[in-house]
Amino acid sequence: MFGFNLINTLSGLLIITSLIVIETRSLRRSAYYYAVQSIVLVLIFLTLAVTTGQKQLFLWAASALVTKAILTPYILLRGEDRVASAAPPPQAVRPALAIVLAAISVVVSFVVINQLDLKIANEYKPALAVSVAHFFFGQLCILTQRNILKQILGFCLMENGSHLTLALLAYSAPELVEIGIATDAIFGVLIMTILAVQIYRKLDTLDAASLTSLKG
Amino acid sequence: MTGLIIASILAPFLGGLLVLVIPRAWIKLFSQAVALAAAACSLLLLISFASAGKTPATVNLISLGNTVVFGLVIDRLSVLIGLAFILVGFLIVVYSTGYLSDKNREHPEKEVERRYYFFLLCFIGSMAGVVYASTMLGMLIFFELTGVCSWGLIGYYDNEKARKAALKAIIVTQAASIGLYAATAYFFAVTRSLQLSEMAGLTESAKTVIFLGVLIAGFGKSAQLPFHFWLPDAMVAPTPISAYLHAASMVKVGVYIFARCLGSANGAPKIIGVIGCVCAIATMIYGFIMYFPQKDLKKLLAYSTIAQLSYIFFALSLSVFGSTLAFNGAVAHIFNHAFAKGLFFLVAGALSYTTGTRMLPSLRGVLAKMPLVGASFAVAALAVTGVPPFNCFFSKFTIFAGGFEAAKTEPLLLILVIIAMFESIGSFAWLFWIFSSTVPGEPSEEVASATALAPSMQAVLIALAGLTLVSGFFAANWIG
Amino acid sequence: MYTNYLSWLLLAPILLSLAAFSARWAGKLAMRVAEVLHFITILVVLILGLLVIQGVLVEGSVVALNDWLHVDALAAVFLLIVCVVGFLVGIYSIGYIRNDVRTGELQADQVSTYYGLFDLFLFTMVLVVTANNIIMMWVAIEATTLGSTFLVGIYGHRSSLEAAWKYVIICTVGVAFALYGTVLVYSDAVNFLQRPEAAVLWTEIVKNARALDPTLLKLAFVFILIGFGTKAGIFPMHAWLPDAHSEAPSPVSALLSGVLLNCALLVIIRFAIILEQGIGPEFPQMIFLIFGSLSVVAAALFIFVQRDIKRLLAYSSVENIGLIVLAFGIGGPAGILAALLHTINHSLVKALMFCTSGNILVKYHTRDLSKIKGMLQVAPFTSFVLLVGTLALIGSPPFNIFISKFSIFSAGFFSGFPLLMVVLLLFLAIVFAAFMKMASSAVFGSLPENITKGDVRISMLAPIAVLVILVLALGLYLPPQISMLLNQAALISIHGNAAADASISLLNFSNSELPIAFLQFAQLFGR
Repeated sequence: MFGFNLINTLSGLLIITSLIVIETRSLRRSAYYYAVQSIVLVLIFLTLAVTTGQKQLFLWAASALVTKAILTPYILLRGEDRVASAAPPPQAVRPALAIVLAAISVVVSFVVINQLDLKIANEYKPALAVSVAHFFFGQLCILTQRNILKQILGFCLMENGSHLTLALLAYSAPELVEIGIATDAIFGVLIMTILAVQIYRKLDTLDAASLTSLKG
Repeated sequence: MTGLIIASILAPFLGGLLVLVIPRAWIKLFSQAVALAAAACSLLLLISFASAGKTPATVNLISLGNTVVFGLVIDRLSVLIGLAFILVGFLIVVYSTGYLSDKNREHPEKEVERRYYFFLLCFIGSMAGVVYASTMLGMLIFFELTGVCSWGLIGYYDNEKARKAALKAIIVTQAASIGLYAATAYFFAVTRSLQLSEMAGLTESAKTVIFLGVLIAGFGKSAQLPFHFWLPDAMVAPTPISAYLHAASMVKVGVYIFARCLGSANGAPKIIGVIGCVCAIATMIYGFIMYFPQKDLKKLLAYSTIAQLSYIFFALSLSVFGSTLAFNGAVAHIFNHAFAKGLFFLVAGALSYTTGTRMLPSLRGVLAKMPLVGASFAVAALAVTGVPPFNCFFSKFTIFAGGFEAAKTEPLLLILVIIAMFESIGSFAWLFWIFSSTVPGEPSEEVASATALAPSMQAVLIALAGLTLVSGFFAANWIG
Repeated sequence: MYTNYLSWLLLAPILLSLAAFSARWAGKLAMRVAEVLHFITILVVLILGLLVIQGVLVEGSVVALNDWLHVDALAAVFLLIVCVVGFLVGIYSIGYIRNDVRTGELQADQVSTYYGLFDLFLFTMVLVVTANNIIMMWVAIEATTLGSTFLVGIYGHRSSLEAAWKYVIICTVGVAFALYGTVLVYSDAVNFLQRPEAAVLWTEIVKNARALDPTLLKLAFVFILIGFGTKAGIFPMHAWLPDAHSEAPSPVSALLSGVLLNCALLVIIRFAIILEQGIGPEFPQMIFLIFGSLSVVAAALFIFVQRDIKRLLAYSSVENIGLIVLAFGIGGPAGILAALLHTINHSLVKALMFCTSGNILVKYHTRDLSKIKGMLQVAPFTSFVLLVGTLALIGSPPFNIFISKFSIFSAGFFSGFPLLMVVLLLFLAIVFAAFMKMASSAVFGSLPENITKGDVRISMLAPIAVLVILVLALGLYLPPQISMLLNQAALISIHGNAAADASISLLNFSNSELPIAFLQFAQLFGR
């Protein structure tokens, strides 16, 4: 029982960290906070592994530690180095509104998850709801931030959310599946970062609002 | 007989493809040979069909299980109309070889263009395909192909105007062809067959749906209201092409598929007859009114075509009310009008070839300078307006007789028949006036300086004038 | 034996693509080495792909790697598209990229990157169609995005970078939704399939689909459709498509439009089959009908206002994918067969058209339709194929799309949607008009200045010529192998697996379903 409670509590921590990631103005610090969040995620995986006795979740924890807590922030920081002189573009939506939207997505996620009858995950429905909400946070971040590097962070938050869902619902799946998803995620971040740097070099801005030459 | 039909469909297509590859110097001769072969096949078909006692038959060529996908229909309608379309096609090819040359004063041509003969030959093949097809799908396929061919030909001169007109023609007719598309798909869904002969067994409501589709497609192709506007613009095509479009191809496809479906279905629901009659009369009046402002001979002829086709639609719709006479008149009119209108356009082409203009005000005294062209003009004008003893008189007469026959059961139709008769008289008066101000008298400046007409064009004019004289008797005998 | 072929079908391209990447260190020979490796890759994929398809024809299905890879007839139809179109477009690439290097559009050292990415992209698409593990399907789809992002943005122009960015962001966000759908299906399946290894396998889930929870299934399907629908270019998730298609090098556009969209569609179909087996066909069919019709309507309106040739073609892809989805929504053997046939036909024609647009770009250096004129004088062969492609695309006989479009519409009339069909036909008339206008203004007209006469090189014409032949040939004749594949694939779509007796022909399916007979009519020309 303690395990389930711990998972639900830790997932609450996820929400807080991701809000900080979204609202922090400095990209550098956002990346660090993201690393912190990923460590929380790793802790959840570990707890889950102990509670359910599923050995492969240790592996998940290990791979998450490497890819999410170390590699992803590293890639982002390297990318940030190359665009260091860029003026940060303004936010598209005011922070207060973003938080309201975030709250709404949490509520909706909880309501929806409560309606579902997921036999293997009924004990940690709160955590599941958090994972779904977290996924929407990521989208929120992509929609509300005009800084394209920040949008990549949004993608990472989405990934963390869906990764948690995966761990809660599909921990029994073969390891190769998890490896595939993690590889996709890390390559996704890498490719987007390279692209963002290319865009910065070409356009001299990180503002997504300036990417408007293609229409109709 | 099957072999003859297949040959008359395939020969032009294969010939068209070959035109793309053979040396340029051979193209003109080769195209004429191919068209002649196709025309000979259709003529032989007519003879062998007549000698075999004119018993209608269908030949299933490609079938799958119980579904015939493509087949041929051999009956009085297809054999007669097929001959007209292919024969006129052949004459057009011959005329074109003279018309598209450096001697043409309106549009001199330096080189033989492959695409012209390619599209023209494919056009003839597609027309044969439409006529002889015994399935809805076969009709649809060739129907679409005629659109593509006409697009290639209307836009032949490749200037802004020509391209626009070509585009307008294909877009309008293809938009209308949705009707045939839907009708075919619906027909297939209801009868689980593609054979037109299955149409007879359908319920009234199913027939209504299918005929509506066919009518829409027919209106589009035959340039009836509200789809009429592409035809006058299509005048930018080389004149032989206009002649073919108006006389024996594009616009005739619409009336032909309607006639074919009517024949297969053993009559249609009354509502179709009502819609057909009303639209036809509306178009007829519109076409008549539009005669007056026209200065360009070809444009005048375009509106005349629109009106003549509405006669055919009118007659076909009358047949819905039980008048066989009207149906026969319509078929005969398709046949006769092919030669008469073909001749008329080729006269217009001859005038622009020799004088460099086709504007009516500057054409005077044609007869004095060019007796052959003047005489052909006279024959064409008299034939188109339905003066005896020229061919259209017989078919128009049959149509009116059919109208009175149908009016016995539906008295209201009498009004429409009378309107049509007035139109007939009016158009005769107008064309006669045009004729009298163009053909006789002292040659105007343009006419006086006219050059000689190419021999091939002369031959075609003579042939068509002869056909215009005899085709009326022939058609009446054939159907009667 | 076929199992080995299947394993190699995946292994070979990934190894070769890595080799092509590393060709950059071959010094002066880098470009040639990369080209050779690229050629080997596409050839190997073509040969192994065809061998695997032959295996499907002989044995019904081919599996490998513990059932993780599974090619049944349905997959084989799509695999056929991947390897044939991939091969032809791959050949075309060689000429096209050489030209880009000549004109300085691309640097010589980018060439090995291009071929490496191209072959990697091909690999990811092979993975999508051969995957049997539902989560791997998702992984593979995500990988197609990642593999093709740099291909879209390879020119490094402002607009191409923008297109690449939109592509990667919209697709990764969209496809992430699909992960939720996938995980929902898996977590439900794992409850009653004791072995978790089995619960990830599509074949196993389909067998036990009735045990799945209906509400969860519906929810999952909505996620799947949003997610993979983004990738397939279904309206309204298509926003990335016109940008990416127009900015990518033309061979890549051909691959995106002709192959990638279909791959995503295949995965949606896979999930729809699970739904149909679980809760019946009504729900997925309704969704398909709605999204299919919307796509056709919206694309028709966008097509009408396009002034950019590649965007025009891109929206035409939205329209055709919409038609395919619509045909799946119509359902029944007739609808499904028509859909599958249209999938094949559309990819061939679209590959043809995008390659042709590449030739036009080479000659005119613009995609602006108001500046592309008089092609008949500049490039006679290219303008000929543009005409053929346009006519084929708008469904004119005797080309292949006529048959499949007509089949779709007769299936629609047959299944009781006559009104919808008529409305859609009206919108197709708009498409028709727009394309005829494009073709006639491009082919004819007076030549703009500064255009050198003479067609492009033969290497850029030969693959197009092959496509033209295929497009025409499939309009006249359907090889029995393909019709057998389609037959089996339709059986899978309806029953969840190919009937035990592979000899069941759709003709015996039910005699009342005659639209199918129509589909095979083309085959008869060959007998």
